[in-house]
Amino acid sequence: MIGGRQPLRGRKLGDRRVRVERPHAAYFRWSGKGVMTAKASASRPTTGFGSALATVRHALLGRPLASGEEIGERLSKKKALAIFSSDAISSSAYATEEILRVLILGGAAALAFGLEVAIAIAILLIVVAISYRQVCLAYPTGGGSYSVSKRNFGRNVSLIAASALLIDYVMTVAVSTTSAVEQITSAIPGLHDQRVVIGVAAIALITIGNLRGLREAGNIFAIPTYLFLGSAFLMIAIGAFRIVVGGEGGTFPPEVVAQAAKIPEQVTALLLLRAFAAGAVALTGTEAIATGVPAFQPPESKNAATTLAAMAALLGILFIGITFLAVNFGITHLEFPEKQTVISQVARRVYGDGSIPFYLFQAFTALLLFLAANTSFNAFPRLLAILAGDSHMPRQFAFRGDRLAFSYGIIALAVVASLLIVAFNGETHLLIPLYAVGVFIDFTISQAGMIRHWLRERPAGWQRRLAINAFGCTLTAIVAVVVTYAKWPASAIVLVLIPSLVLLMLGIRRQYEGQATELHVREDIVFAGPNREQRAVVPVNGINRAVVQAVTFARTVAQDVRAVYVTEDAADAEAMRRRWEQQLPGVPLVIVESPYRAIVEPFIAYLDVLDETWPPDREAPVTIVVLPEYVAKRWWDRVLYNQTAKRLKAAIVGRDHTVIADVPYRRDH
Amino acid sequence: MSETHPPTFRRAVVALAGGPGDERIVRLVSELAKPSHGEVIAVHVVEIGWSLPLDADIAGRSEEIQSILDAAEGVAESSKMRLEAVLLQARDVGAALVDEATERAADLLVLSLPYRKRFGGDFAIGRTIPYVLKNAPCTVWVVREPIPEGEA
Repeated sequence: MIGGRQPLRGRKLGDRRVRVERPHAAYFRWSGKGVMTAKASASRPTTGFGSALATVRHALLGRPLASGEEIGERLSKKKALAIFSSDAISSSAYATEEILRVLILGGAAALAFGLEVAIAIAILLIVVAISYRQVCLAYPTGGGSYSVSKRNFGRNVSLIAASALLIDYVMTVAVSTTSAVEQITSAIPGLHDQRVVIGVAAIALITIGNLRGLREAGNIFAIPTYLFLGSAFLMIAIGAFRIVVGGEGGTFPPEVVAQAAKIPEQVTALLLLRAFAAGAVALTGTEAIATGVPAFQPPESKNAATTLAAMAALLGILFIGITFLAVNFGITHLEFPEKQTVISQVARRVYGDGSIPFYLFQAFTALLLFLAANTSFNAFPRLLAILAGDSHMPRQFAFRGDRLAFSYGIIALAVVASLLIVAFNGETHLLIPLYAVGVFIDFTISQAGMIRHWLRERPAGWQRRLAINAFGCTLTAIVAVVVTYAKWPASAIVLVLIPSLVLLMLGIRRQYEGQATELHVREDIVFAGPNREQRAVVPVNGINRAVVQAVTFARTVAQDVRAVYVTEDAADAEAMRRRWEQQLPGVPLVIVESPYRAIVEPFIAYLDVLDETWPPDREAPVTIVVLPEYVAKRWWDRVLYNQTAKRLKAAIVGRDHTVIADVPYRRDH
Repeated sequence: MSETHPPTFRRAVVALAGGPGDERIVRLVSELAKPSHGEVIAVHVVEIGWSLPLDADIAGRSEEIQSILDAAEGVAESSKMRLEAVLLQARDVGAALVDEATERAADLLVLSLPYRKRFGGDFAIGRTIPYVLKNAPCTVWVVREPIPEGEA
């Protein structure tokens, strides 16, 4: 092969051909005029350590996906229902318990009001779901309440919505995980002391699943959702049959009566309001579908709206059904002799204590709750990416990893949620008061945004749509106030966090805007070729191959080249000069004697002197500091070299009219 | 005996002409090669006139020529197939194709034929395809592009 062309003989005399080498083809592909697309091989690490790390990452997360493969990662309705709705559906596992925990303060008789409270919350769910269906249809780009409020109210209000959502997503992960662990410990009480470790380990597993990318996350988690739905509906059907047809009903067990007797309180409107506020946690996650509309297969909006309707129907039936069974079987939470969740007691009563269906149901419930945590792993990174795109969050959050997942957002969520679980000792009930406040603030802002949307756009049937969103807005605003009041003082933490996050995001935006203004180039300016003089200064430590290579390079970029040798030894300097003039004639060597043994500072001072001696009537030249750099073969050898060069670099960065050029000398080159 | 299975081959050479027919034949061959794990080699030959030396630096530097093979690679990849792309310079395209297929012991050579008419209205087949049909030692498929609307 000569010059990438290999001559070949043909079968017949005179038939010749030349095979032309295509060196670009290993790494790139021409994809348009003047446009090259990098192949996967171009993104592979080049160092041994990098390759080893990539191998581990690929084994754990799968092969990297190209951006063009994204459409294949879109979710079907069935998978999307599992991924986006598990948060909302799973709240049926603890929402009933939250109602009963409040009602028991009014004595055993007050528990009977549980069903009415659940029905009221289900009505609220219907209103919110109908309102959010309209968001899906009106805003196919996703972002949910952030997009809606940004469009209709501007930046500040949208950031309040975004902050509330971010808090909500983090809380979803923490609450769902701790609740899942509680389902496990309700079935196997011996694991209660390991609840924090189990919770954090579960978050780590979900994180890996999500870093693998959307479609595979759907495959991993879709089955448990449907298993839970099947077993929960079966439980409700059997239980309801036994209550309605068999006349089975419950008297409260002595433990419950004893628990209730300790803290008697009147069944007042306030108590019912507090129970309503506590149970409103069932609505968390309703907005996730509206945020994730772009993740659906086309037609995105329609599929998202259909999935949202299905989710609301399933959640409503489950929530009312489980509350109906709990109230009629006389069940509430138990702390002694061992902690028992309400849903686990209902399952025990229906399926039989210690039976296989009971353990299966507990397993499915726990899996669903873990999957609910997964909902936030889809929505939180997307919202962060949208915020990063708007310069309200660091831009890293908008970058996609090897598997097209927003890796930084996923990892950030996992870290914060794990810290919460550790801080609250894995107790769901302690975390719940922080939950739901942000959600209802968010619902309200979103609905208010939709009111403005309909008033501005006025499409066909806008009056009916406006009425729906106005009703939803009013209702959710009232509930936001009620929840904040009922959960005070814990809700105060959220009320402080939201403005703090808003300020943080505004600060980040200001920083990015400042940088953009600084770097802005007017479109009408035409830049001619370089017209400034250039000079090169090469700091040298003797005459060696690295120095010679750097000086040779310096001579290619500037006419005015000088070497600077900083030394403390005058005799050594003289010997150096003699050798320099002999071996590198034509390149002046400036010897800077440094009796105080410093190297970097005298060199910088020399650059300052050079600048000051430049004629003031001429434009200052660009000074190129050419640094000879020896590159050791192994990374652990590198610590032995170039330390002075690194200090020089640190001292020169940011100096006016000065650029640094590293000239690496590699062994074996 | 009735033939119910798609034809199989071990190694196919696909001749690329740089026209719209390239995508069609690369996709066709890739899909056929998939079940039998056949090998697909795409060859584009740049004809060099007698005024230039055969090894003149022409094809290697041309973005337009390289993109013909790159596009074929992309088509094969979309069919989950790997394709070897070969760029040749030759005095005669037909001879180069036959020689390359022979050297690589290909059992199939596929060419596309655009529907063109000579001056006077006769269907033009060119000189490459007749040469390949006459000289290629392996099976040869010629895939003619559809007749443009209005000419049929």
